[in-house]
Amino acid sequence: MSPRALLAEVLLRVLYPALLLASLWILLRGHNAPGGGFVGGLLAVAASAAMALTFSAAEASRRLPLPPTRLTAFGVLIALLSGLPGVFVGQPFLTHLWFTVPLVVSELPLSTVMLFDLGVYLAVWGAVGGYSLSLLSAVEEQQ
Amino acid sequence: MNAATRHSPATRATTASALPLALVPASLFGLLVFSLISVPLPWSVAWPWIPTLDVPFALYVDGLSAQFLLLITGIGTLVAVYGAGYLAGDARRWRVFGLLLLFMLAMIGAVSSDHLLVLFVFWELTSVLSFLLVGFDHANESSRKSAQQALLITGTGGLFLLAGIILLGEIGGSYSLRQLIAAAPALSDDARLPAALALLFVGAFSKSAQFPFHFWLPNAMAAPTPVSAYLHSATLVKLGIYLLARLDAAFSELLFWEYSLVGIGTLTAVLAAVQTVRERDLKRILAWSTVATLGTLTMLVGLPGHGAALAVAALFFAHALYKAPLFFVAGNLDHGAGTRDIDRLTGMRRHLPWTAAAALLAALSMAGLPLTFGFVAKDAMTLAKVEAGVFALVSHATLFVGSISVAVAAVAAVHIFWGRDAADRTTHPHEAPLPMLLPPLLLVALAVLFGLRPTLVDPLLGAAAQAMAPTFEPLQVDSSYDFWPVAEASLATFGFGLLIYLGWDRLHVLLDQAKDLDQLGPESWYWRKLKFVPHLAAALTRRLQHGLLPGYLLTLAGAVTLALLAALLVARPRLDLPSVAPLPLPVVGCALLIAAGALAALLVRDHLVLLLVSGLVGYGSALLFLFTGAADLAFTQFAVETVFVVVAATVLRRLRQLPAPLQVAVSEARWRPLALLVALAFGLGLTGVLLLTAGLPFDSQLSDFFAAQSVPAAHGRNVVNVIIVDFRALDTLGEIAVVALALVAALPLLKLARGRSS
Repeated sequence: MSPRALLAEVLLRVLYPALLLASLWILLRGHNAPGGGFVGGLLAVAASAAMALTFSAAEASRRLPLPPTRLTAFGVLIALLSGLPGVFVGQPFLTHLWFTVPLVVSELPLSTVMLFDLGVYLAVWGAVGGYSLSLLSAVEEQQ
Repeated sequence: MNAATRHSPATRATTASALPLALVPASLFGLLVFSLISVPLPWSVAWPWIPTLDVPFALYVDGLSAQFLLLITGIGTLVAVYGAGYLAGDARRWRVFGLLLLFMLAMIGAVSSDHLLVLFVFWELTSVLSFLLVGFDHANESSRKSAQQALLITGTGGLFLLAGIILLGEIGGSYSLRQLIAAAPALSDDARLPAALALLFVGAFSKSAQFPFHFWLPNAMAAPTPVSAYLHSATLVKLGIYLLARLDAAFSELLFWEYSLVGIGTLTAVLAAVQTVRERDLKRILAWSTVATLGTLTMLVGLPGHGAALAVAALFFAHALYKAPLFFVAGNLDHGAGTRDIDRLTGMRRHLPWTAAAALLAALSMAGLPLTFGFVAKDAMTLAKVEAGVFALVSHATLFVGSISVAVAAVAAVHIFWGRDAADRTTHPHEAPLPMLLPPLLLVALAVLFGLRPTLVDPLLGAAAQAMAPTFEPLQVDSSYDFWPVAEASLATFGFGLLIYLGWDRLHVLLDQAKDLDQLGPESWYWRKLKFVPHLAAALTRRLQHGLLPGYLLTLAGAVTLALLAALLVARPRLDLPSVAPLPLPVVGCALLIAAGALAALLVRDHLVLLLVSGLVGYGSALLFLFTGAADLAFTQFAVETVFVVVAATVLRRLRQLPAPLQVAVSEARWRPLALLVALAFGLGLTGVLLLTAGLPFDSQLSDFFAAQSVPAAHGRNVVNVIIVDFRALDTLGEIAVVALALVAALPLLKLARGRSS
């Protein structure tokens, strides 16, 4: 067992949720500024990796919203489903639809494209994260 | 399956339960007859199918198609009735009926298509369905092998056919059969035409069991009898001949066409006739004699002249009317007497009287005796040969093949049913139930009816002949009727046939001594090649899957390098260096960073340090992207590089703490010189390709479109992201699916590594 890095542990309790929030923000801003599902997902992977290095791969896995394979599958599924509403209104598959939700002061534009990007985000997080964590846990056990 | 279970009330109930299925082909048959009477041929209809490729779903039915459609639906009805009796009580019968109905639809589509690609699709469907039908008894190994053989041969032939269709379509400028036939006179000078026809021949010959593909048909007798009666006598195996007959109107003038078809057809017929005598299984005897008939048909299609066209039409019809009943007879014997071995089948007349009657009448037609439709067909064939003036060799060959037909007919009727009844019989042969008797009796009754009154089918045969030879006029043959050649040929065939029948056993023994010759035949070649495939796979696996990571990487990099260099070699004439503008300072800085990382990686030995300096290359690239305006790319590159370096470094660091035996000892020194060589070549190739690409004019059509449409069409200002999630969303969906698959593939490996350590 490696010696505990106390400072990193304390730091990461704050940093992990912050990193995830940042990754979500990057995901959402992606449509108009640099960012998007791929980068957001990678940042989430970085958060998981930091978790695994500081505590353990098992701990990092526990912190994932779903087990890695299911997370990945869920992401691909969301992306797939986001293409269907277009089909139902007579457009080709994966034609994204836009609608606005009126708020009190302004209005919020929403789209199936956000669902699609969320799917990409989850798939990257699940797959790359799952792979990294699995690799790390393999070397952890060898000690 | 013994008599008791066969005829219990329960089995009768299942017979009745399957019988209504015959209504499907029966109603199609009725509809067809009704339409033929009320609507004059030809019928033509087309729906759009793949408009972007200009492939319409075009159907066209003329006399030839109509004849096939009648046979397909008519015999299909009888096969369904027969099958209801034959497969009564068999739990798998629904699968057979389902496949048979699908097969019937595929056949209908194939013989009604006007567009060659539509025809090809149906053609392939018949191959796949026949695979499933032949391999019906899949628990039996020989049945599986026969199905595999039929599929491999007809499927490979199908690929040749596709190549031939495409070539022919390119030469003729159309894939429509009608337009190709109309354009044919202008095509005969094209140098590519013989190649196109040769490819089509391979496709048609493999389907119709012509030499050298003939051997799959007798092996396909592993199929249940209703399947053999349907596929291997009346429909599937005629499809190749159908295609040739269809194209006959276009190419019959070509000597290449005539010589190929007459040559291969005659060779097939003679070979198959010899093989017939070597068999003792009635079904295989019938199969070989079918191959002989198919050879004769191919020969007749190749012959020029109107008489040949009429003979093809007549023989198609006659063969279906006598061969299908004979297959039914074989099935009844199998069912009632428990064997198809002609040595154990004699004197069956008393036990299976109705089957005997059907066998006798079918045999008379097969032997081409007067008062049967077989006589009419033989008559037409003889006249066709007189008209075309065939070589003496072909004439003798057909005489020989005809004699064997007579002998086979005699075996199927006289030997089996009228021979002396064995006294020491242990089994008790019994007659088949009604659904298995009606179909053969009905068909032979038709053969006799049409033999007595050929004028009944004259319009049908005339229309079919006209489709093969457009200038055909129905009256022509009657006016040139010449009695003597026909009588002579008939008598000679019959006489020789009787001699062969009497000497059948002696011939059988004689021919069996020559079985060493089989080693040279195409069938043994097929088996050798089939065994070769797993050997090849094993050898390749041993060479490529050695388990050494440096070796894998070298193979990969080497292959990519070869591809790069090949591309450069092809493009060399157009390779010129682009003019280089002075680079901005930040770009130069990034390039230096990358170069420093790469050089350091070359010199450093320690793995961990190596990883870190190679990270320099990644971050340098990310910076380069940033300075050249690709912010998203830079962003992603930074993230990827960071995650990779962190994870890999951790793994490396922990691996190093392991006790020595667990570390994999790979002598890197051995790989270094080769790796250096491949690396240099790779760098050289990539540089060349980049220079080449930079020298090409940049087509900005796509990027202009994306830039202009990003906000109005997709409501996003980040063009890169809009392309990923909207314009090219389907690509992205594929990519994340690949990412997911990579995880699924990697997890078991990692689990294995974990298991090994503990």
